[in-house]
Amino acid sequence: MRRLFHHLAGAGTRLWSTAFGVAALAALAEAQGGKRWGPTEAASDYGYRFYDLFWLITILCSVSFAIVCILILIPALRDRARPGHKAKFDHGASLKDKRVTTVVSASVFLVLDAWVLVIAMTDLREAWWNIPDEEEPGVYQVEVLAQQWAWSFRHQGADGEFGTADDIIQINELTVPTDTSVSFQMTSKDVIHSLFLPEMRTKRDANPGAINEMWFKAIRSGEFTILCAELCGFAHYQMHGKLHVLEGDQFESWHEDASRLGIAAFDTEDEEAQWAWKWE
Amino acid sequence: MSGDHIHAEPTNFFRKHVFSVDHKVIAKQFLWFGLIWLGIGGLMAMIIRWQLANPGDPVPVIGSFLFPATDGVVDPATYNTLFTMHGTIMIFLGLTPLLIGCVGNWAIPLMIGARDMIFPTLNMLSFWSVFLGGAVGLYSLFVPMGASEAGWTGYPTLSTTVNGLGSGETLWAIAVFLIGASSIMGGINYLTTIIRLRAPGMSWGRLPLTIWGIFFTSILNVLFIPVIGSAMLLLIMDRVFGTTFYVPTSVMQGAGGGDPILYQHLFWIFGHPEVYILILPAWGIIGDLLSFFARKPAFGYRIQIAAMFAVTVMSAVVYGHHMFTTGISAMLGESFMLLTMIISVPAEILFFNWLHTLWKGNIRFTTPMLFSIGVIFVFGLGGLTGIYLATIGTDIFLHDTYFVVGHFHLTMAASALFAAFAGIYFWFPKMFGRMMNETLGKAHFWLTVIPLTTVFCLMFVMGYAGMPRRYYDHTSSEYLAALQHMNTAATHAAFILGAAQLIFVFNFLKSRWFGRPATDNPWEVGTLDWATPTPVPHYNFKVIPTVHTGPHEFSHPALGEDRDWISMTEPLPGAESDGPDLGGGAVPTPAS
Amino acid sequence: MRIPTIQLVCLAGIAFGALASFRAAGQEHGEDGQSEADAHATEAVVIEEGPHMRPPIGVDMTITAGDWLRAPSAEWFAEQADADPDRYSFDASLGDGEGGWVDSQDVFRYRYDEEEEIGAYWQWVTASQLTRGRRNYLQYCSSCHGIEGDGYGRSGQWLRPSPRNFKSGYFKFTKVTAPLPSDAALHSLIKRGLDGTPMLPWALGDRQLDDVIQYLKYLSPEGEAWRDWFTEIGEPVDPGKDPWIGEEKFAVERGKRLYHGDANCASCHPGYVKVEDLPELLGKKDPTSRDDYYLPVLKESNYTVLDQPVKILPPDFTFHTVRSGSTPRDLFQTIAAGIKGTAMPQWKGALEDKDIWALAYYVEDLIKKYKDDNAARTEFFTELKPQK
Repeated sequence: MRRLFHHLAGAGTRLWSTAFGVAALAALAEAQGGKRWGPTEAASDYGYRFYDLFWLITILCSVSFAIVCILILIPALRDRARPGHKAKFDHGASLKDKRVTTVVSASVFLVLDAWVLVIAMTDLREAWWNIPDEEEPGVYQVEVLAQQWAWSFRHQGADGEFGTADDIIQINELTVPTDTSVSFQMTSKDVIHSLFLPEMRTKRDANPGAINEMWFKAIRSGEFTILCAELCGFAHYQMHGKLHVLEGDQFESWHEDASRLGIAAFDTEDEEAQWAWKWE
Repeated sequence: MSGDHIHAEPTNFFRKHVFSVDHKVIAKQFLWFGLIWLGIGGLMAMIIRWQLANPGDPVPVIGSFLFPATDGVVDPATYNTLFTMHGTIMIFLGLTPLLIGCVGNWAIPLMIGARDMIFPTLNMLSFWSVFLGGAVGLYSLFVPMGASEAGWTGYPTLSTTVNGLGSGETLWAIAVFLIGASSIMGGINYLTTIIRLRAPGMSWGRLPLTIWGIFFTSILNVLFIPVIGSAMLLLIMDRVFGTTFYVPTSVMQGAGGGDPILYQHLFWIFGHPEVYILILPAWGIIGDLLSFFARKPAFGYRIQIAAMFAVTVMSAVVYGHHMFTTGISAMLGESFMLLTMIISVPAEILFFNWLHTLWKGNIRFTTPMLFSIGVIFVFGLGGLTGIYLATIGTDIFLHDTYFVVGHFHLTMAASALFAAFAGIYFWFPKMFGRMMNETLGKAHFWLTVIPLTTVFCLMFVMGYAGMPRRYYDHTSSEYLAALQHMNTAATHAAFILGAAQLIFVFNFLKSRWFGRPATDNPWEVGTLDWATPTPVPHYNFKVIPTVHTGPHEFSHPALGEDRDWISMTEPLPGAESDGPDLGGGAVPTPAS
Repeated sequence: MRIPTIQLVCLAGIAFGALASFRAAGQEHGEDGQSEADAHATEAVVIEEGPHMRPPIGVDMTITAGDWLRAPSAEWFAEQADADPDRYSFDASLGDGEGGWVDSQDVFRYRYDEEEEIGAYWQWVTASQLTRGRRNYLQYCSSCHGIEGDGYGRSGQWLRPSPRNFKSGYFKFTKVTAPLPSDAALHSLIKRGLDGTPMLPWALGDRQLDDVIQYLKYLSPEGEAWRDWFTEIGEPVDPGKDPWIGEEKFAVERGKRLYHGDANCASCHPGYVKVEDLPELLGKKDPTSRDDYYLPVLKESNYTVLDQPVKILPPDFTFHTVRSGSTPRDLFQTIAAGIKGTAMPQWKGALEDKDIWALAYYVEDLIKKYKDDNAARTEFFTELKPQK
């Protein structure tokens, strides 16, 4: 037992100094600037849920993994084969062993899995899958048409209908207001793409021949990122765009300008250019 | 019983070494085949990592030879081909031949006390179909427009002619189909052999865990490979005959009416059991090896089998966790989430038992043991990170990012591969009559596990930062360019990892012809395969042995001071009846 | 087989939990069990049949014969000969006494047509280069530009601007004053891409790009574009040295005057000054003659999609992205060369270079000040427009 403690202390010292060294290196790297080790701060109202759940799982898993590592290290150090040393003969088939196994597994399940499961289901019902009803006022609707290798976003104009002259079409850019639920309907012209908004902490596939729905609500203005998250061909990596989130009045004036330009660009005879669908 | 049945010893070169029906020869064929393809897939991985860390730079040394049209630079289409073929090769042409083809073929007849598989010709065919599949896959690299570019998952409509116009994708689907056929043949063979050809006294309760692992894997193979076979057939028909199983109306004029999501369902109903197909032999092998080298019985033998059985049964009902973002209904999503969480419980049970096997053992740190313990370590990391992906709240963000890549590499490329290495190091003395070099083996282990853990743990960080996978160049977007330093670090570690495998290659080749000659049972293990002479004669056992003892009776008190193991053919000293029979089956009667 | 109690309890717990969550999930989502997060197949985006939707069956990937394609003129060869004298030499006996350039590698050749009595330089493109070009084209370009190069790619549907039809012989943003762009012009166009459109800067290697360019030229219709004896091929307009260095403010001012006055840019593009200020600014009568001076005017073009002419909206520089680059150099080239097939005329020669530079500076100034700043733009236009 003392020898074991000795070993652990030695290992502990090594562990601590390594951890310290790693932390120091990380700080050094950080100081070099321009390098990121994690996502940028969440910008949607449900974004914090991802962070909370991620770190809860991380803490639970780290503790479990640490226990596993310790349970490897102890026999590795203590039970090395050597002259005069014998293994303890135990099939682990006794009733007591079966009980312990069951209790341990059930507790692990409850702590690691069930707890996380309950939180996740709540999060889904309250956030990601809680797509706002189209009848709700104040929901901003955007139709997304993905293609190889660009995103097209269509906004309704002032008339509140998709497919009319005052619609706004943006390519690889999306402008939305803050503090407003933005609701998407998305499809694709050719292959499967996936609209990934990392700062908003949401993602949904855009499948050809079907319409998927997604939503988010931005809580601050700024410039954010749009990425494609489903392999769609050789330029999958180039399918990125900018998400502009504007404060209410700024957004209003943008919307007005864009709508007017949309009307200016509209050609009634050019039927081939009309791709909007009625919001379903 | 077929105890005395044996095919005649072949005399000509082709029947002896090429078109052999001897399971031992076929095992070695699978071994060489798997190792060579592992090397090809590994080289592709090195090129992928080079491109990620140095986007647009010509690949050094081999670049201008491999990619002359672009002066050594990997272009985006070629990059997509590289990661597609890397995945396909590693899974179907690397791990499957090694863990199931080689270990299964070698170990099953020898460990259960049979002379050969019950269907030797089918066995030979199963090797040659995977060989043919590999040949088709290799050929696809050289057709106009190149090989498949749609990822190893091959989702339509990207994998239909909507995107890929050359024959590469069709050939890929054919190759997968052929490889699948090989697995089905193998599965049928293994199941029937294990059920029918066990030696007298080899009850279900005395089967080594390796056999149990391969038994469950074979059940999954037989059940679910046909599903991917059908998925591939429909894809081939869409590509070659213009059908529209996967092509929706709004993408193609004419009929359409298909659904790309149909493919995803079919693929993952196979795809999820596939990962269990790869890991079950690994669990079985290390279940045995941990016991062998800790000189202690496998803790909770029956519970380990029950856990493997539970995983087998549940493997198909969790597949939807690959499709959380495709737009499946909330109810389906939550059901899959719950089931996926439940399926992690048997794995946790296995961990408990493995650790308990080590606890208070008398541990011999040979190379196979190091790799077995390594499996516990890397599977711990890989398995635990599965929780993030099972939980939809985190999966929505992490899906299709490097987090997933890190997760499956740690569970497959690390755990299954380590088990394959453990198996190779373990059975090498019996297969080739020579010992592999221990020092080189240990160096291989440490120089593999440390860089490997580095590379794939970095990927967890990249995934958490939001870096999507299957990107040719992360510096194209500002958001991701700030993460490029992690790509560089991962590439450096990956190169060390790749180089370390050369130690294994050198050790393997050198020991094959020049290694220290091995005794019949260098590991001092009681299973029937070690009760044979080395080299193993083509009929395996002169007399089919009768089994009296379990496979894990190490350090049994009745054995006394001078030995800590006992052969399965020997009854335990002082036992009134045949040793512990932990199974429920009747003991088969000896052949008359 | 006896199962211990505690295991039974745990199994029951799991089963209960599963059932409870299923039930709860069912209740959330209404009678038909469909949730709002469901994907639903839709006919809303069904397309009529048309060339965009052709199933790509039986696609030919090999070209079996090489072809002659037009090469640039003698001046171009003279320049090439300066750079590479070993390869090109002048033979005075060619072309009826005028003399012509000879390529020692025999890629370019001077050919003389007796009937038309015209000589021109041609390039022999080999079958293997064309095949490589076709395959790279299919790989990288066909999704938008169509398998046959006619602009009817599945992914190109509904796009405005619509993907180029390579069988038309027209290219819009080439920055060359001649009817056809040289290889170098096409090369830099494709490499650079078109900002704000799905025409991205594709990561093709130089040799791949060269092969694709030969293939694009190969798609020229019979007797037109690169199969035309009479057409001219030009290099991108050379802006020369920037004459306004150190005097950018004056450039912007001069550009503003030209834009709203002599160059009359505001007849298509938006105007950016107060309508009342125009006479004083330009020293002549109010030249405006349209409803909304601050909106661009939709213009006809030579481009068609499905036989329907496509109209193009000239960009509002404070809002839209300029396709071919927004540095003064890029803008100079676009203004000087015009945009083929559209209402944007070629200003080289019509305006002095210094004036074109001034316009470029003015446009760049507008872009820098207002394009990415909504507040500034709103303020700017509020000031300009008549109060309601």
